[in-house]
Amino acid sequence: MSATFEREVEEFTLAGGERVVIRPMTLEDGPAVAEFFRSLPEEDRRYLREDVTRPEFLEGFIRKLKNFEAVSLVAVSGDVVLGSATLYRNPHGWTRHVGDIRVEVARSCQRQGLGTHLAHALVRYAISIGLDKLVVEVVEAQHAARKTFENLGFRLEAVLKGQIRDIDGQRHNLVILSNDVSHIWDRMESLLADFSPSAE
Amino acid sequence: MDKTEIRVGGLGGQGVILCGMIIGRAASIHDGKHATLIQAFGPEARGSACSAQVTLADAAIGYPYVKQPDVLILMSPDAYTQFAPTLKPTGTLLYESELIAVDDKLPRGARAIGIPATRFAEELGRRLVLNIVMTGFFAGVTELVSLEAVEKAVRESVPRGTEDLNMRALRRGYEYGRQQVAVPA
Repeated sequence: MSATFEREVEEFTLAGGERVVIRPMTLEDGPAVAEFFRSLPEEDRRYLREDVTRPEFLEGFIRKLKNFEAVSLVAVSGDVVLGSATLYRNPHGWTRHVGDIRVEVARSCQRQGLGTHLAHALVRYAISIGLDKLVVEVVEAQHAARKTFENLGFRLEAVLKGQIRDIDGQRHNLVILSNDVSHIWDRMESLLADFSPSAE
Repeated sequence: MDKTEIRVGGLGGQGVILCGMIIGRAASIHDGKHATLIQAFGPEARGSACSAQVTLADAAIGYPYVKQPDVLILMSPDAYTQFAPTLKPTGTLLYESELIAVDDKLPRGARAIGIPATRFAEELGRRLVLNIVMTGFFAGVTELVSLEAVEKAVRESVPRGTEDLNMRALRRGYEYGRQQVAVPA
């Protein structure tokens, strides 16, 4: 995953008027990103796939960035990280055409369009590196997150009942949404077919 | 540039016609020159021989057919066999170097510059953009169309949503082409 974001840095204005910068995460952002994850309230961390406060999580995250198994965007105001969006990918396995998207936004910035903007930027990037399919996993109760991804073209693919046990030990259904973007490349393939106009 | 005749050759499905169309569009619409395009297909489109004849000129073009090109852009061995002997002795062959082996079919004196365009396209994420890599390579080696013009032409020609990868493919080919013709200090 060697491609870079076409627009490496962009500004986004929250609904409340605050301006944040969205840019690719670098390895130097590690401490600020760790602080961002630690600052997420327990209510928000309840439904995250991993315990992002553990040092092992950050070490694994950085390792994936170094190995090009993940690419991440951060939304920052000054030195403070307000949001993180990551595209995970297995570049060599049988799901190498699939990207897995995860987005987290600080409580103070939620419902202001930042999560949608981050997710949209990742979807554009995923298409640009040739991925066919994007997947996101949300807990069934995360209605706002689900709506955000449905607005970006994601559709329900599966519900795994009782799949998740949250940090309080409660079990929840896991909803898997997917977005098959391969049709975009079908149009490119048609364009390259070199059909005679009169033969179509 | 008075008049330059170009032939693009390959197989149906490699985007031969689109390559020719983008070159013509870049020259005529964005660089303010004149261009014509003639396209030829085999009996079946996908996998059969396919070629495009492009003429670029500073003035109006009276005859659009290309018999003996100044520049050949070739993407398949069959196209090389068929078209290499037609290149002008002072001409330039731009070829897919992992698919085509240059031999004595090429006129003596002609220049041949290869690019592993299929591999580059696969590394970028999609083999489909092979023709865009070749288009960038053409622009980088010959400078017959400006990078700015060909970038605009690519953006206008490819499906929405595929622009970013196509632009990276174009620049990959362009930069490789510039490296191949750079004069060592």
